Amino acid sequence: MLVKFKINGDPVEVSLKTGDRLLVDVLREDLRLTGTKHGCGIGACGLCTVIVDGAPVASCLQLAALCEGSEVRTVEGLAGSSALHPVQQAFVNRSALQCGICIPGHVMAACALLEKTPQPTEEEIRASVDSVYCRCTGYVRIAEAYREAVRLARKAGKP
Amino acid sequence: MNQRDPRLGSAAGLVVVGKDVPRTDAVPKVTGAAQYVADMRLPGMLHAAVLRSPHPHARIASIDISAAAAMPGVKMVVTGADTARRKWGAFRPDLYPLAIGKVRYFGDEVAAVAATEAAAALAALDKIAVQYEVLPAVLSLDEALKPGAPLVHEDAAGNIAHHFNFERGDVDTGFKASDVIVEGTWESVRQWHAALETIGCVAQWTNGRLTMWCNTQTPFLARDRYSVALGVPESQVRVVQTEVGGGFGGKSGDDNASVICAILAQKTGRPVKLIHTREEEFLASHPRMPMRYWVRLGFTRDGIIKAKEIRMLADNGAYTGKSQAILGAATVRHDALYKYPCARADSTLVYTNLVPTGAFRGFGNPSADWAVEQAWDLAAGKLGMDVLDLLRKNAVDPGDVSPHNHKITSCELKQCLDKSAEMIGWREKRKKKRANHGLGIGCSVHVNGRRSFGDWDGASAIVRVNADGRATVITGEGEIGQGNLTVLRQIAAEELGLPYEDVDIMRPDTDVQPHSLGALASRLTYIAGNAVKRAAGAAAKQLLAAAAGQFNRPAEDLVIINGQVGPRHGSETEFRSVAEVVHANIYKREGQPIVGVGNWDNPSEFPDHSRYGNESGAYNFAAQAAEVEVDPATGQVKLLEIATTVDCGTVINPATAEGQVQGAVTQGIGYAMIEYFNWYNGAPTDPQFLDYPIPGAEMMPKLHVAFADSYEPSGPFGAKGLGEIGLDAIPAAIANAIADAVGVRIFDLPITAEKIHRALHPELYAGEKAAPPAAPRSSAWTRLAAGRPSGARPFDPEFVMAKSVEEAVSLLAAGESALVCGGMSHAIRRERTGFPLAQRLIAISRIPELRELSVSGGGVLRMGAAVNQEMLYQDARVRKGWPAIDDALEAVGHTRVRHGITVGGSVGPLIGGFDLPLALLALQARVTVAGPDGRRTVTLEEAFQKRFAKGEMIVAVEVDPQPARSGSSFFKYMARGVLEIPTVNTAAAMILNADGTCNRARAVIGAVSWKPIVLDLQPLAGKRLSEAVLRQAAQGVRPLTEPNPDVRGSVAYKREMAVEFTARALTKAWQRAQAK
Repeated sequence: MLVKFKINGDPVEVSLKTGDRLLVDVLREDLRLTGTKHGCGIGACGLCTVIVDGAPVASCLQLAALCEGSEVRTVEGLAGSSALHPVQQAFVNRSALQCGICIPGHVMAACALLEKTPQPTEEEIRASVDSVYCRCTGYVRIAEAYREAVRLARKAGKP
Repeated sequence: MNQRDPRLGSAAGLVVVGKDVPRTDAVPKVTGAAQYVADMRLPGMLHAAVLRSPHPHARIASIDISAAAAMPGVKMVVTGADTARRKWGAFRPDLYPLAIGKVRYFGDEVAAVAATEAAAALAALDKIAVQYEVLPAVLSLDEALKPGAPLVHEDAAGNIAHHFNFERGDVDTGFKASDVIVEGTWESVRQWHAALETIGCVAQWTNGRLTMWCNTQTPFLARDRYSVALGVPESQVRVVQTEVGGGFGGKSGDDNASVICAILAQKTGRPVKLIHTREEEFLASHPRMPMRYWVRLGFTRDGIIKAKEIRMLADNGAYTGKSQAILGAATVRHDALYKYPCARADSTLVYTNLVPTGAFRGFGNPSADWAVEQAWDLAAGKLGMDVLDLLRKNAVDPGDVSPHNHKITSCELKQCLDKSAEMIGWREKRKKKRANHGLGIGCSVHVNGRRSFGDWDGASAIVRVNADGRATVITGEGEIGQGNLTVLRQIAAEELGLPYEDVDIMRPDTDVQPHSLGALASRLTYIAGNAVKRAAGAAAKQLLAAAAGQFNRPAEDLVIINGQVGPRHGSETEFRSVAEVVHANIYKREGQPIVGVGNWDNPSEFPDHSRYGNESGAYNFAAQAAEVEVDPATGQVKLLEIATTVDCGTVINPATAEGQVQGAVTQGIGYAMIEYFNWYNGAPTDPQFLDYPIPGAEMMPKLHVAFADSYEPSGPFGAKGLGEIGLDAIPAAIANAIADAVGVRIFDLPITAEKIHRALHPELYAGEKAAPPAAPRSSAWTRLAAGRPSGARPFDPEFVMAKSVEEAVSLLAAGESALVCGGMSHAIRRERTGFPLAQRLIAISRIPELRELSVSGGGVLRMGAAVNQEMLYQDARVRKGWPAIDDALEAVGHTRVRHGITVGGSVGPLIGGFDLPLALLALQARVTVAGPDGRRTVTLEEAFQKRFAKGEMIVAVEVDPQPARSGSSFFKYMARGVLEIPTVNTAAAMILNADGTCNRARAVIGAVSWKPIVLDLQPLAGKRLSEAVLRQAAQGVRPLTEPNPDVRGSVAYKREMAVEFTARALTKAWQRAQAK
């Protein structure tokens, strides 16, 4: 079956080999967007977090067929040609990464939160960071990156 | 006194070292550009899958691969017979790439398939017919050591893989001279690295040479070992390190995965990719080695250590890997921490038919510290001293030598103790002790490298200065996320006088760089740092010699500053760029490029069989303090704060160093309290993040991190390593804090709420009957035991997007169909069991009627089946009107999960352990379902009793408005303190009369019976309520529970928690009713 959706702003049409093909596989294998990582397959680790119609979604639990007509965004869609997205820049500024395998998931979870809630509370930040595992950092610097992203966005004059 | 080296003063002049420069790998990692091995795709590449043993111990009678080989897309099936039949392993070669003769643990590699698609490779696994003769297995240390026990390896008599003992100094005299003696036996468990990237490899043979793209920590050591396993000369193998998504010791070249991948690539003549599934990672990644550690310490009455003795048994698992060396570290390392005058030890490595163990951050020290640092805490109690003072009194100093000839050079252990105590407020909090609050502390010492694989623990580096003035650092040590590439660049830039940005560094490729041992034993900053510093120094010397000719001045008069060369104290105009100097030095007769080579060997000794010898040229130290609060009613421990101070000499990169410590502490927390499995017949159940969660952000305490003011004379710019040490003492510090809080001493890891609860309330467990472990219902064990190892799908379901309820119902009636709303449960089920829900998936998420969320004029909340929980959670009317629903939605965890779960999806399966349905039951919700005979509305309680009819689907759920003087609540108790399946869920709803007495009360309890327990509290009607009355009422739950024992609690514990949280839910609902 064919499924049509927008990926990082561009329309795309994917022929699903099976009816229950998962979004993470379509992204990584069919569209070669390997920035989205596969971590556990049961929605526990959040590595595969992407944004579908504005909401953070575990793409390993998302049937691709259900994305018909949706706007799907991945880490590859964030940076412009010359500058990083403020959330990405914040992770760089705060050295909020180590091995990096979870970082696309964290970056997408942060974007999803900050787009809805540009001035999040500490509890909201904590809950969002909690939605993606990190085995390296102990989350301290990742939470700092959220706060840095809020500052950078404010500085850039965005709401 | 701080024994600070006088040369530390010169650190003030450092330009790049000590600065938070941007990490080398930051931008690729935040943009998704970083290439991990799973991201690779080569032309013609095949995908591999591995068949694993379903038995802990069995003889392989026969293997028939013919049916598998004939499957579509399958290009190759290999078994042990197709391998070089060579055993391999870091110290004790005992592992075949694929089993030959017999299998030794649940998960042992038996056969492997390469196919054009990953799914085809998986599917073929089910068609490999293996006949096993099951052998008796040894599934514990005790079973393995029983006289006449079955042998895991025929050449290891008594299942002993390794053994050594020693006595250094006069231990008996030491104990005789002791006034206070403490002793105890502490046990530790397996901990998995749980790197979020699993082990993987892409292998390709070209002209008889093998290239392996591996996510290995140790490319050169991996090449050595893999070449042995493959039976090819070492130089025929090229290992290229891809980005490494977390290592922690688990990717240090002991895995069979890469070897199997290379064999398949050789046999097929095509590139092959093999990536561990999450489940395989739990079966075959060599987790931390468990130990049974008996220790005895003797002290004078004023707290001076006089003697130490240990006896230790370690569970090797089925294959040895690096466990032999871990045994050594766990035996001797701790003796470089305090001023032990003598030590006696007897250490034995024991084979069992369990998951093989290996290197994990800390390398034996966490298990040793778990025992010995608690013994010191016990001793402080017996001596009547503050443990902080006792540790301080005995801490090693620079110049000390341990009984094993460990020579202490720089050491700021006392400073570490003082700083950590200060950060956590030790003295003040001890003075004003609060009920159920406690403080604990532990210390640790670590090597910086270790002579493990021969009498060399060195590093070699090349630094080139290019004609454009940029330098390239060439080392084979690599990056596993710890920041090594950044740190080495900083060291090179500092030594060369170049800006950090002008220094590049390469990832390891064993064809290119000099021999390297890689990321292990906290060695890179210290050893590779020294080699890079030397190479950069050599390059700088060449550069200055070249400049000398160009400037016509002696080289000694010239300096390199920020990429410019010129006379010392000269004016800016006299300086030329490094690029100019290098370019001029190349493009001339007999010209040559600038290439500096640096070699540095750890000034350490190769320990003998009994581990005598100075393992490392320098040691790093840490002191870690923890504050906890224990809930006596559940035994649950809340971590409040953890303070860590590390002596790692000069800190090269503060942000990275801090990150290393924070991460290590977090893994220590996981090891102490969260990360463990239940086991069934030698198999961990269920080897996924479901049963084995790792710490998430919500459960983290406040972390304080500090570094001692310290300088290591033999380190690069005074630096030492710090990768591992932040983990080691955490479990002991937490256990000590728990003992301080509630007087319960935990001897066996993990520290569980249940263990503490049992110790605090033994009377509640008096009549308990031990239940035999039950077979897991859906997990790796189930699939392998059933001969369906693959988890491959038996058919590919059709997908239909329904436009109306009626259409969905008629599609359902056609049979072989299942509804998907968010699709989450379907995906999870498929991942864990391999079976999709049905041949046809009917998506109902776009049906407008099902997406409606409304509150009627009469105040009835109506939730369409396709409404997701995040929509509910964001709705202010829900939050205000039905607190139990809001509590339940909060307990679901976070936006991502709530967004994925719909009302229909959570209520439809009628599972009492789910959050929302339980709250809805307490609120006496109604469900409207549509079926072949039209629509009907039933109470949710009735639905739970009678189930839904075949072919019915949920349309909506309704809840009545809550009257005045009513309250409701929901509790989800997750004993491990991390988001997971609950130990018990409870919900309550209550209405009070105008006089404050009870009108109606109801409690619902989930996850402790096959269906939710509805507690009828009719007898409370008309009664005046109090917490005591409600607690009494909650006792009625106990006889109704029939919990399944699992990793979240025993039958007895779950029963007690059901009572406790029923009481809490009722009390909360009552309080809310009073407020309304």
